[in-house]
Amino acid sequence: MDSIKYCNEVMARLETLMYQELSGMAHWKCEFVGTDFIRSKDIQGKTVPEIVESCVKEMKAAGIVSEITYKTSPDGLMLKLKVKNCIHHLKEVLVEEEGVAPYICPIANIVLDQIHEKLKYTTSYKAKQAIDGENKQCLIYNALYKTADQIGQVSDWLKDDEDREWLENQPSQILAAADRKKS
Amino acid sequence: MTGQEFLDVLTSRKSIRRYKTDPVPDEMIDMILEAARWAPTGENYQPWRFIVIRDQETRNKIGDLSKQGSGSRMTSWYCLSELQQRFEGIEDPVKRAEVLEFMYSGRVSEFCKQAPVVIAVIGDLRVGSVDVPYDLCAAMENMILQAHAMGLGSCWVYGPVASTRDARRFKDILGIPQGMGYYKVLSYLAIGWPKEQRKHPRPKLPLSEMVYWEKFGNKERI
Repeated sequence: MDSIKYCNEVMARLETLMYQELSGMAHWKCEFVGTDFIRSKDIQGKTVPEIVESCVKEMKAAGIVSEITYKTSPDGLMLKLKVKNCIHHLKEVLVEEEGVAPYICPIANIVLDQIHEKLKYTTSYKAKQAIDGENKQCLIYNALYKTADQIGQVSDWLKDDEDREWLENQPSQILAAADRKKS
Repeated sequence: MTGQEFLDVLTSRKSIRRYKTDPVPDEMIDMILEAARWAPTGENYQPWRFIVIRDQETRNKIGDLSKQGSGSRMTSWYCLSELQQRFEGIEDPVKRAEVLEFMYSGRVSEFCKQAPVVIAVIGDLRVGSVDVPYDLCAAMENMILQAHAMGLGSCWVYGPVASTRDARRFKDILGIPQGMGYYKVLSYLAIGWPKEQRKHPRPKLPLSEMVYWEKFGNKERI
């Protein structure tokens, strides 16, 4: 049996069912999906890059992804992950086939969880997930708040971003934005 | 009360986020809770439990958590240029900037610090078998309408329990057992005497855009 295919099929069913029940709220409920794996590892690091690299090393060793690159904004509030050949790619395809924009990313959850656990960040948020099915790659934009007073510090994350054009064509998490504009 | 009179109660309700400091009498709180008790509930399970919070320190903690929840999301939406789209309809750029700052700072959800009463609505998952979230929403709606009918203002707030991590923090603040199979935290209701007069009525879609007859998509009354 292809156990990876089996697990992704199970995940896709759960992800679409959650969306059907909770609508966009489901995006906010799944931050612990995938974190058990990384909590069983000895992730070390005193900075965001060190934590990310330690998590990436474990994920690559386990065959979860083949490549992850990352970038942080100058103020440290944004963490962009570019993931290639993720073990969950089939899950994303199956979820999209049901008309749902995939919203559960165990890879981002893993990284954010360890930033919380090891660096004691106040909060974080997976803000955007975009999937390029053809090239089996994903972009994930995450907000990191070391302290509460960083909430509200805004900038343009997409300025000079090489993926800006692609990202702007992805569905918005503010689901009714298009309708609001019309009114 | 006539049907029209009841409809007038429904259509005059607004979410109130600014409150006077005047206390809400116990009798009114009891009446709001009594209204919740009579909400529809599957098989009469009544899984709802209510935590009435008047302690300022606790309300401050919940307010901070609410601010953090909303602010963390909206800051990132702004940074991705999505939040701005939502408020493109505000033509005055100064006003628009103020509204956006109010949103991404999280202050939009902080107001329970000023609300004299906060009622957390939680559900015992071991009591209600299949309808817990829906029962809780019905109870919440009853409380909102009862408060409004008595001249009080209220606002249904979901911010502090939106994410699973924040829901755990909310449970910690109120001493609610953490196990995922025990209690669901729906949200809380902020209640107080209104300090604001919001525009009324707020724009609503006409029935013709939301009602189908006999089958999905059929807008003609048969």
